[in-house]
Amino acid sequence: MPVHYVYGDPVSKRAVDLTFQAIYTLTDLRALFRKTAPTHELDSDQRAEAGRLLENLERQVASLRQEMLR
Amino acid sequence: MRCGSGIETRQVDELFINIDPIQAGGRLTPDAMKAIIAYGDGYSVCDNCRRPNRLDYITKPPIAEFHKDVAAWLNMDAARTVPGARRGFQAVSQTYVNKGDPVLVTSLSHYTEFLAIEEAGGIAREIPADKNKVVTADAATATIEKVKKEFGRPPVLAIIDHVDYQYGNVHDVAGIAKVAHGDDIPVICNGAYTVGILPVDGKCMGVDFVVGSGHKSMAAPAPSGILAATAERAAEVFRTTAIEGDVTGRKFGIKEPEMMGCTLMGATLIGMMASFPHVKERVKHFERELANNRIVMDALLSVDGTRVLSEYPRKHTMSRMDTSGSFDQIAAAHRKKGFYFSGSLSERGIRGIIPGATKVWKFNTYSITRKQAEYLAEAFVAIARENGLPVRESS
Repeated sequence: MPVHYVYGDPVSKRAVDLTFQAIYTLTDLRALFRKTAPTHELDSDQRAEAGRLLENLERQVASLRQEMLR
Repeated sequence: MRCGSGIETRQVDELFINIDPIQAGGRLTPDAMKAIIAYGDGYSVCDNCRRPNRLDYITKPPIAEFHKDVAAWLNMDAARTVPGARRGFQAVSQTYVNKGDPVLVTSLSHYTEFLAIEEAGGIAREIPADKNKVVTADAATATIEKVKKEFGRPPVLAIIDHVDYQYGNVHDVAGIAKVAHGDDIPVICNGAYTVGILPVDGKCMGVDFVVGSGHKSMAAPAPSGILAATAERAAEVFRTTAIEGDVTGRKFGIKEPEMMGCTLMGATLIGMMASFPHVKERVKHFERELANNRIVMDALLSVDGTRVLSEYPRKHTMSRMDTSGSFDQIAAAHRKKGFYFSGSLSERGIRGIIPGATKVWKFNTYSITRKQAEYLAEAFVAIARENGLPVRESS
């Protein structure tokens, strides 16, 4: 049986959610560039924040891949 | 990199410290950027518009609550969102100004105040700023008397800039409002450079209206702004429509003619709303902004021949400088002429000063970090030294 995804389907909704989450994470990274322009030298707190954001992004993209391409 | 056909991706604030005088306070918060991504579509905030159909009644997203919060935050009774501060001046002018009516502005007023008066058929009369480029209550009294002699009646409206765009000076809005009310003149406080930057209290200033700019000072996309009013004036400017179609008999509910119905319906409104909690918080820390400004100003003034044309010490982060006795001295002999200055800044990752300007120019340090302020200060001094300008050592 082929699987049909319709509006509101919990699986496709999850993929859409993940897409927005990843964009929001990238937006937080963008803000970090703004806060540290023009040298973008990160202090220890900012390095930790960047690390956390990038980990989140990787997790979000991996989950998105799983949802969309299964 | 492009974000659309022929549209370069703008990365100014990611790659540079941007000290453009009119851009600093409008820089978006991350929450505003996220909200715009979700609500960029045209009528996106209207999904849950229910009777009575008007923008400021929508509860999901919480637009109604936002309107109430903005009014309370400014200590006024009612507020509407408008497409830029200018549309606030326009709505009020259309309500009170008729053909030939005198209206008070100041010698430092923004041009859109003049246009709003002109469109309504009014005649502008300017309160002159004093030698320090500050507009006082005494000057307002004198101008009102002058208007009475010229027109046989007082002005019908006064539009007073809280902080002006030319010098970034703070003007005596409270004193002027007191004088104006002596002749029953309604007063607009133009807070385009203060609402969202520093604490603003409409009732404390005694004004009838407070106008704010979303894209200048509330970390919101353009065009956006706020028009807040006292209860008495709100009933006049935010009156509802009474018109009726003669063939169809149609009526238009509680739409407001001066607002042309609903105002901001998508990214502009949602961006302003998303930034609002951050804006409410940041105005409490304006001293921190002034401290960062002092770091940069001290460095600039350490360069011999540099003067600040704005009132000093600074009460606002936007300032007008005169470097005709310093950086401009280099321009004449430099192969890049005046462009050497903006070019040198750009090479150091600093943008926002008009390219080519070396005599008189403005800058705004609002919302930069302390580290960025120090970087900026060092850059100005380094450019001066590099070009052989004498720099006084800081004490």
